[in-house]
Amino acid sequence: MLHFLYLTNTRLVSVRAQGKRIVARREFAVSGVGASEFERYLAELEQVPTHFFVDIADEDFRLDTIPHVGGRDRAALLGRKLAQIFRNTPYRHAEMQGREAEGRRDDRVLYTAVTNPEALRPWCEMLDRLQVPLEGIYSAAVFSAVVLQELDLDFADALLVTFTPGDAMRQTYFKNNEIKFSRLTPVDLEEGQGLGAFVAEETMRTWQYLDSLRHFGADDRLEVCVLVHSSDRALVQPQLRDFAQMQYHALDIEQASMKLGLKPAPLDSTAEEVMVHLFLLRPSANHFASPELLRHGAVRSAGNRIRQAAVAILAAGVAWGGFHVARSFQGVEADERIEQQLAAINTEHESIVRSTPSLGVGGSTMRDTVAFYNGSIRPFPALSEFLGAVSKVLAAHPGVRLTQVSWVATDDAKAMPPIQSIASRDAPAVKTLSKGEPPPAPGSAESQANPVFAGGRYEVALMEATLRVPAEDFRGAIGQAQKLADELSQLPGTTADVVESPLDLRSSLQMQGRHDAAKPATMETRFVLRIVRDRGGAA
Amino acid sequence: MSAVFSPEGFRHLRGSWALLALAAAAAIGLGLGGKWYLDHETRERATAGKRLEQARARLETARRERDNLRESADIFRTLVDRGLLQGERRLDMVELINGLRTRHQLFALDYEIAPQRPLQFAGGRVFPAVDVLASRVKLRMRALHEGDVLGFVEELAASRQGFFPLDRCALRRLEATSLEAMQPRVEVECAFEWITLKEKNAAQPG
Repeated sequence: MLHFLYLTNTRLVSVRAQGKRIVARREFAVSGVGASEFERYLAELEQVPTHFFVDIADEDFRLDTIPHVGGRDRAALLGRKLAQIFRNTPYRHAEMQGREAEGRRDDRVLYTAVTNPEALRPWCEMLDRLQVPLEGIYSAAVFSAVVLQELDLDFADALLVTFTPGDAMRQTYFKNNEIKFSRLTPVDLEEGQGLGAFVAEETMRTWQYLDSLRHFGADDRLEVCVLVHSSDRALVQPQLRDFAQMQYHALDIEQASMKLGLKPAPLDSTAEEVMVHLFLLRPSANHFASPELLRHGAVRSAGNRIRQAAVAILAAGVAWGGFHVARSFQGVEADERIEQQLAAINTEHESIVRSTPSLGVGGSTMRDTVAFYNGSIRPFPALSEFLGAVSKVLAAHPGVRLTQVSWVATDDAKAMPPIQSIASRDAPAVKTLSKGEPPPAPGSAESQANPVFAGGRYEVALMEATLRVPAEDFRGAIGQAQKLADELSQLPGTTADVVESPLDLRSSLQMQGRHDAAKPATMETRFVLRIVRDRGGAA
Repeated sequence: MSAVFSPEGFRHLRGSWALLALAAAAAIGLGLGGKWYLDHETRERATAGKRLEQARARLETARRERDNLRESADIFRTLVDRGLLQGERRLDMVELINGLRTRHQLFALDYEIAPQRPLQFAGGRVFPAVDVLASRVKLRMRALHEGDVLGFVEELAASRQGFFPLDRCALRRLEATSLEAMQPRVEVECAFEWITLKEKNAAQPG
């Protein structure tokens, strides 16, 4: 909701607008009880932003040019000029109007002021007293340039004629859409004079005045645009006669309102509603109000902006927090999947645990026990199997007589089981003497207090046997011992070597022969085989 | 702007300023709260992921263990029946050896059972759930025939008193002094480990 006040010399019009639409209008007399009535009326209204149009005769206009300077200097210069020209009124305004085309290209300025401040001050004091949020005080004449622009009346020299509440007529001259002059004339018709004749007479005077001020060239023509209601148009238009220097345009205010979108259209020729509507379309900056007068409006605007900022900040906070929450919700489906998977896994785990055999001990105990058995006990070699395999080979050698076997199950393929040699009953006449060779080392496992448990990958045996052959047939004995070793080597994974031959023929050893007179028919030779059976990696 | 920041302007606008401050505080609270919630959810999600991985690993372990144990259950039952987890019963062992000696008609039998000790394995292998204990047993026997000795050893290994992996044996023929007399013809020296297992977490006997 916005509140507009339109002040003329005799009337004060209050117009209230909602959005772009005028919703209420009330008119007060400027003199007498009108002011007190207006104050009561204003006090009952809610505090809404208020714009104050001034359309009175006590408004003066001066044209000037000033050097083109920077913003701060220009403000100071204009302030000084206004104070010089209109020193008796605080309601003054400088309107910048572009630059001169030639010379220093100075800035063109229109100075305007309410030369009788007492016409405005009581109303301003009333507004201030009631803490009305005043947004600005505007010169209706200066603002009326918008009328020509919005109605597409684009003339080099235009005179806009409007009527104000309280029977006055304002004529405002625009050169290239820049206001140069304005005057307000009370509509004081003489006997028998019609409104049209009045308009024609007053506009002619204005043309003459402007012409005297050399606003027109020889070929210039003043386009007079008269904004009247259709009810007055019939009276006015016939009296408006064009000539070379002037041409009239009677603008029907209803048609103009239709073009501007003003609904409902004004009911008479006064232009305040058109001004208000145009202000709603194209708001203007303040003209006359001092910062002191605008303080309630400024505070109200600041309050609005602070509240808007609060809402914006709160919305940003909600958006910020919502963004994080939304991001966290993006993984909800994944979370649910995980929870479902966890539940399914736990259910399956419980089922497995229930179905797992325990046999009174923990699973790890069972596993270790079985692992130990499978790795260390089950593959461990058995002596009877070894001897059984060897016996089958020996069965094919009836001349061989086994005297002793020393067997170990070990992980060392080079192990040498302990053995003590047994002398033959019919020792051969020739023998090789050992050179003090050390006896086979006793099994290292037996010598230790806590021997390492062997996996039994290898079975190593020393097999001592005797072979009865014809006397002095050492060659045959050696051959048979080797043949036996070769046959044992045919067993799966088995290698057999003759470690002690029936007659050791090594040159490094001493050999001794002793032949008696009685020569035996046979002799019993002794030999030792080393048999290694690789069982292929047990444990 | 001076009107806004004047004492009068501030008095008029104190409600708005308070609203702005509240809105700013609420916005910061909402933002930080949302971020905290997101971080919390992210941490929860990471934890849930780890829990899922751990659960999968636990399930896989349980499956493996179940499969292993199903395969091993029969073996384990047999091992338990054979006293592998029952500790040494030396009196039973003495009676067993005496009984086997009589059955296999051994001429002489000397034996020696060493104190029980933790058995050491090649490579320092250990079993997490059980202690492997062993007593070294040495036998010295004399018999008429080596078959008697082998029968004695085989029957001992098949007994239900434990496990006796024979790792060392020396058989020696003895020369007969008289062909007619009943005298030992073979002398045997053997050694083996008498192995029993003990569950590590089992309660200590009172």
